[in-house]
Amino acid sequence: MSKDKPANPYQSVDATPVKSFFVHMLTRDIRLEDAILDLLDNCVDGILRAKLTAGTNGKKAPYDGYRAEIEFRNDSFTISDNCGGIPWDLHDYAFRMGRMFDRPSDAPGTVGVYGIGMKRAIFKMGKRCLISTQNNKDAYDVEIDPDWTNDESKWRIPVHPAKKRLTEDGTTVVIGDLYPGVASRFSEDAKAFESELERMVATQYVLIIDKGFRVKINEHGVRARPTRLIFNENLGMNGIRPYIFKARSDGVDVFLAIGFTRPIPSQDEISQEQEEKKYSSLDAGWTVVCNDRAVLYCDRTELTGWGEAGVPRYHTQFIAISGIVEFRADDPAKLPTTTTKRGIDASSALYLQVKNRMREGMRMFTNYTNQWKTHPEESRKHIEAGEPLSFEDIKKASAGLAFTATRASVPSGELYKPELPAPRKLKPNMRRIAYIKRASEVEKVGEYLFDDAGTDPSTVGERCFDLILKDAK
Amino acid sequence: MRQPPYQLRPNKAVDRLTLIDAIRQFRDAHDLREYTYYGMGGPWLEDFRLIYDFYPEIRMVSIESDENVYRRQQFHIPCHRVRLDLKRTEFNSFLASFGPEAGKSIFWLDYLWLRYAHIDEFMTLLGKVPADSMIKISLRCEPKDYLEDKKRKEFQREFEDVLPHPSVEPPVSFADLAKLVQEMIQIAAQKALSSAMPFKFVPVSSFCYADGAGMFTLTGIVCRRTDESKVKSAFRSWDLRNLSWGTPRLIDVPTLSTKERLHLQRQLPRGNNAGRTLLHALGYLIEDDRPQTEARLQQYADFHHYFPYFMKAIP
Repeated sequence: MSKDKPANPYQSVDATPVKSFFVHMLTRDIRLEDAILDLLDNCVDGILRAKLTAGTNGKKAPYDGYRAEIEFRNDSFTISDNCGGIPWDLHDYAFRMGRMFDRPSDAPGTVGVYGIGMKRAIFKMGKRCLISTQNNKDAYDVEIDPDWTNDESKWRIPVHPAKKRLTEDGTTVVIGDLYPGVASRFSEDAKAFESELERMVATQYVLIIDKGFRVKINEHGVRARPTRLIFNENLGMNGIRPYIFKARSDGVDVFLAIGFTRPIPSQDEISQEQEEKKYSSLDAGWTVVCNDRAVLYCDRTELTGWGEAGVPRYHTQFIAISGIVEFRADDPAKLPTTTTKRGIDASSALYLQVKNRMREGMRMFTNYTNQWKTHPEESRKHIEAGEPLSFEDIKKASAGLAFTATRASVPSGELYKPELPAPRKLKPNMRRIAYIKRASEVEKVGEYLFDDAGTDPSTVGERCFDLILKDAK
Repeated sequence: MRQPPYQLRPNKAVDRLTLIDAIRQFRDAHDLREYTYYGMGGPWLEDFRLIYDFYPEIRMVSIESDENVYRRQQFHIPCHRVRLDLKRTEFNSFLASFGPEAGKSIFWLDYLWLRYAHIDEFMTLLGKVPADSMIKISLRCEPKDYLEDKKRKEFQREFEDVLPHPSVEPPVSFADLAKLVQEMIQIAAQKALSSAMPFKFVPVSSFCYADGAGMFTLTGIVCRRTDESKVKSAFRSWDLRNLSWGTPRLIDVPTLSTKERLHLQRQLPRGNNAGRTLLHALGYLIEDDRPQTEARLQQYADFHHYFPYFMKAIP
């Protein structure tokens, strides 16, 4: 018997990727709107690189003076910016499919981790693309055509010097030969698509726009609507202020604030919301921000702690409660986001630890709401005594608060728990009356008593009682 | 909200007849015996009376939630109940049990107010009717409702899902508000029947008018995407068409006596400058100045076919 090993009948196998994996498969994992936001992320990362080399140039807001413009039509998509362009020495990262392990780290605060966002967005939309970029002395065009996409042997993309220099450093991406489904969304659904995209930009880039970045979609400027939490700055007394937690853990800074955005709703508002969907809950819930991008906006599910561990499920009565939690890291791989950067990694240890604090804050404000729901008018006075402050302003105002260190819990940090006013108990000789009547009849009585069909139903009910009481006496 | 009697709402009367005319445009391509008209006809069932007068082959269903209005409808029913089914139910309850198996439909969602719930019902309905159904939606469109800052913010909050831009505020001009409401309906239609789906909502007409409070109304057809051009060609020669979400047309007919109308009618139809011609024929102003009078008389020229005669009669 020979001691020699039998010859290996098998050869090594080919594990090189095929283009359709990038062009047709990865693109299925992302919605068209999210793909466009990936391109916008590149613009913002460009700003951070530009600021690293040029400094703030004396600009007041960190993103002041930078802009991105998006335009779509039935046959093309364009995004152009003045965010610094793509330096030639980053071409390996910008245009390769995926990111090399040994690639030097990017500017602090960027969000790109996998090196796939821009390419995936291009392949999601169309078969042809021209990327023109200018960064300092570098100015070049990169063109992808359908032949390149279809040819498995072709992995290098031609680059040409730019035909003309731009007045500002930046990048323009033009995508053509749109796929039919994308072209339909840009034409037949254009109105609804534009509205949805603008809403997503306004919410997910809320902090960045608030800090000076300008975004236009089809020539219409996007206005952010930042969440503002009520903050009673009179520190000498108890009042409505957010619950705040701040910490630093493994290179990630965390700042969390939860509170009220508006007075708690009356019972009438709650029933109207349920019956007529009159009021929207869109402002309520948690917004999670990673390196300035909102990866979750006004979430009201278990993902952010609603309906678990003693926190009630979200209900219209909690319409006034809103929270923001910010994670900030120089290395974006440490942020608790999903690969699409549009969601939270719910299994991240850091996020799970911070979620305990989020739930603790929620319990404070849901308890307050439950305690005061029968006295919404009195509660309104507490809430209106405070000022609605933006997230950045809360950070500044919190400097004057008395934080306590939380060394026993993970992550250790500093905590501020507001002392929220508690209601006095109902006097023993008082009784509450509540009843339900048809809306048209309440309007009729409102018109009869107050010449105003829109009079608040509780005012109508109270006046009816007072009139009968007067007769009864 | 208490509405003025229909004889005091001449613009609404014109709007009703434009629906009758819209049905006439697509009658050639569709067998009206396959259709059912669903409406919210109020105590007098005026729209049902018109449908029955013009198209007796269409079955009719009235949806009404108010007990007393329902009883008045029973009193005013314009034909035998074999043709007109009076249902006493909330519209959203009716909608929950409605489906495409009910057959081709003509709906008039004749709302008194502008509420997101109404737009939501419109979107639900779009997903339920079979192809070649007609839907008309009427909504309040009154800029005075949004003068207060609080009301403007509530508007943004309530309609955020269908606003063209999240930060848009309700305009102060009637025409601009009508345009915005139309854009909201367009977005709602594109969301309910997105391009990935086989059906599409194609507008055929849109109007704004005010008999007291401002109103906006839009009519469209739910059709197969491949049939869009057929729908458009059916309405292409209609004077009142709005096939591409253009500016809503104002209905603002003048108050004229029967004698004046008969006198003016001899000058009609006219191509250009009908207002000026009619003013010349009349010989006096019916509004504060000449441009206003010409504008109102132009309205008369545009809509005189749809303008009913309200007569005083001895019962």
